[in-house]
Amino acid sequence: MPSNSPTPILPTTRREFLQLSGRGIGLIAFSRFAPAFLVDSALASTPAPEKDRSILVLVQLAGGNDGLNTLVPYEDANYYRLRPTLAIAKDKVLRASSTVGLHPSCAALHRLLADGKLAIVQNVGYPNPNRSHFRSTEIWETASASGEFLATGWIGRFMDNACAGQPGGAAGPVGVHISNGVPPSFLSASEHPTFGLLPGAGNRHENEENRRLLESLASQPGAGNDSATFLRHTLMDALVTEKKVQRVLGSYQPSASYPGNPFAASLRNVAALIAAGLPTRVYFVSLSGFDTHSNQANQQANLLTTLSEGLAAFQQDLERHRLDGQVTTMTFSEFGRRPSENESRGTDHGTAAPLFVMGSRVKGGLHGTAPALNLAPNEDLSFTTDFRSVYATMLDRWLACPSEPVLGGKFANLPIIQV
Amino acid sequence: MQLSLSATEAWQPLPAGEWNAEAARHLLRRAGWSDPRPEVSRAVADGLTVTLRRLFPSEPVLFPEPRLVAHLREDTPAIARGLTSASPGADKQALLREARERTQLAVQDMSIKWLQYATQPRNMAFAKWVLFLSDVYVVGIDKVKNAALVWQHFDLIARQGMGSAPDLAKAVSRSPAMIAYLDLNQSKRGAPNENFARELFELFLLGEGNYTENDIKESARAFTGYRQQFGVFRFAPGQHDPATKTIFGRSGRFTGDDVIDLAFRQPAAGAFLPHEMVKFYLSDSPLPPGYLSELGVWWGHHDYALRELAQRFFGSRLFFAPEFRGDFIKSPVQLYLGLVQDLGLSVAPLPRQVLVPLRQMGQMLFNPPNVRGWVGGRNWINSATLQVRRQLVESLFTPIDEALLNADEQIELVAAKAAGKGNFTVPDELLAPLATLDPAAASDRLLANFLALPAAPPFREAVRQFLASDHADGTPNLRRLRRAAVTLLQSPEYQLC
Repeated sequence: MPSNSPTPILPTTRREFLQLSGRGIGLIAFSRFAPAFLVDSALASTPAPEKDRSILVLVQLAGGNDGLNTLVPYEDANYYRLRPTLAIAKDKVLRASSTVGLHPSCAALHRLLADGKLAIVQNVGYPNPNRSHFRSTEIWETASASGEFLATGWIGRFMDNACAGQPGGAAGPVGVHISNGVPPSFLSASEHPTFGLLPGAGNRHENEENRRLLESLASQPGAGNDSATFLRHTLMDALVTEKKVQRVLGSYQPSASYPGNPFAASLRNVAALIAAGLPTRVYFVSLSGFDTHSNQANQQANLLTTLSEGLAAFQQDLERHRLDGQVTTMTFSEFGRRPSENESRGTDHGTAAPLFVMGSRVKGGLHGTAPALNLAPNEDLSFTTDFRSVYATMLDRWLACPSEPVLGGKFANLPIIQV
Repeated sequence: MQLSLSATEAWQPLPAGEWNAEAARHLLRRAGWSDPRPEVSRAVADGLTVTLRRLFPSEPVLFPEPRLVAHLREDTPAIARGLTSASPGADKQALLREARERTQLAVQDMSIKWLQYATQPRNMAFAKWVLFLSDVYVVGIDKVKNAALVWQHFDLIARQGMGSAPDLAKAVSRSPAMIAYLDLNQSKRGAPNENFARELFELFLLGEGNYTENDIKESARAFTGYRQQFGVFRFAPGQHDPATKTIFGRSGRFTGDDVIDLAFRQPAAGAFLPHEMVKFYLSDSPLPPGYLSELGVWWGHHDYALRELAQRFFGSRLFFAPEFRGDFIKSPVQLYLGLVQDLGLSVAPLPRQVLVPLRQMGQMLFNPPNVRGWVGGRNWINSATLQVRRQLVESLFTPIDEALLNADEQIELVAAKAAGKGNFTVPDELLAPLATLDPAAASDRLLANFLALPAAPPFREAVRQFLASDHADGTPNLRRLRRAAVTLLQSPEYQLC
């Protein structure tokens, strides 16, 4: 390849691709993504291979979101007893029923609830709760029992069960994560094409700059040894994919106005990839900072605003693109927090918490039962819905993949998806 | 692979005239992680022989027992007693869970502390040597389950790592972690477990094809009765099979130690560890036949002394031959610690930021995938791991957002800062001096600092052009320098050492 080429160095069309391959550039070595998805230059305007294929978007609330101040039991005197400084005043709560309601920062979610597009599953957890961030996240992501250690994640096993034999690689990634590193949820027994993006829009200009220079370095003759050649080819493969994805993200016209924060930007990117018709079944997005051991009030209010407004913009964007029928979004967090607030106006690691399921095909409203709060100081909540029941519902009713082999057992489905 | 030296020439010491800064950089990168400039100057001034004696000293450079590991070790007997007396059911489950969590936290603590220890230039060659030997004498936390035993195993290797190889092998056969890892605990007279004996020959001492199934069966009998409890080795004579065994064609009432001595008398013994060294330190491609046996014979004449072997290997003409410069793929640990050294950083006490990328790149410290250890070389690289490598570089140039940390991480970070640990991410000052240079000089400095080999002219030109664009007064701006540095560290060339 001429190193003084003024045009972009990597191929963007099938023809360019084949030409370069024919000249021995060695881009043949597509290991995880086959060219069909990459070299289809009309990608953004082509319909999805299977238009009505269901998509799940997972939103991780990392750090352990305080459930009691997210869905507030505003009629329960125990709540006000346990939370002398942190309790949300009854008149501030956004009513969801005659007993519970949302944190005042969740106005946008409250509107979705009114429209029947938000399901709230109350008091979700698992037996023998673990209070370590690391371990409890692992339990949620691998869908294991508390004392069980699994090497694969629940989404990974979904891919193993549902995507085997499918020419996934040929069409594009089956899983996309927008997070720092691969989420344990995605770990699978067999290989599936997955793709990762850094959170937020990043600095588009800098990313572009970075990729161009890297492309140019990777295509220099450089050191002639075998290892260098091998590395250059592998990197070129990855850059081709990335360039395609960046092109999709760059040319996307959202139909909703997303707030200006990295979380919303990540959701905007998910919408762009969905609109581009990738065959991706699961997207993973993360919002962190929920470990509110001290001065919780402001921190959590800000985070819930970010969450609520980001999700609402995403839903609106999907609706205006008429993609909402295809997408369900679900939040999870490694644990809820201790009902009794601590001495630092914060809360410590706890157990169960509510989670949100959003979409045009969900059965909106409250599900499950609220936690009992007749607790001694520092006593924890007892969960009433097992998180694997939520997963089972998503697998059986939404992703149309039998849940039992994925979860290693039968878990009752919840009526949160419209059939 | 075609070599420029014959098998006899290969292991001769490098002629003094060929010892220079480039050779010193090669030695430091391969024996350690990277080539900090003061270390290069010192090595050049000292000469190769003195440098090798310093990198591979007779006294071990020990890795102190991390606090959480020590607590776990002290509490292990009590935890075990609790488990024995607990009735099956919820109580026992809770105790098991607690034990697992403590090991998990101890392994995290040990991993961070080891990286902090290993990144010090004065420790790096020794730390890497122990990592190498532990990649031969493999144990893994997944099976051993107790972090204290794994630390003890590393400590034992460090203490014997410059001594005689047969002594090291004998010590390893008594290592409580090894006894747990390869089931020696289960092996008794009348029912020998062959796991350890098989790996001893296949993966520790001789290599496949250099022993028979019968040698394994008979040797397994010699290792019966090896026990450990709470990290203390114990020989149980009642469980040992003292009867006559026939191993490598010789018969006698052999003990485990005798088996190791017999193995070291096999012709394959001398070349085995050098073969492992080539894979770990030198090259993805095996050396042509004859080269390893040449070194093996030499080593046999030097009583299988590990320190002599290390100095011979790293001081040889072959090690410095041009075909081995800058063509070896960095392991994840080497990439990470090399970045830390090249950028003048400290290892952040944050498992999520440090250990998770290592795991995603394929290397969990103290937990190799299986008894073979890490395969290494090209196996480290695929599109997913390359992406993590790139993200890792990006993260080292991005200030840590403390608001997004969990509370325990914030506490660690505050403690580390109070202890005077330096930068965890790259400050602007690092690149500021380059902003006073013209783009050509600045790109030359970046390339010289970061890459193992001199960059080809078009490569250099690409970096220069990048720095030259959008500069106001003839010097590159800081933001562009940062982008150039990030990109260079993500380039294929930087993955090589």
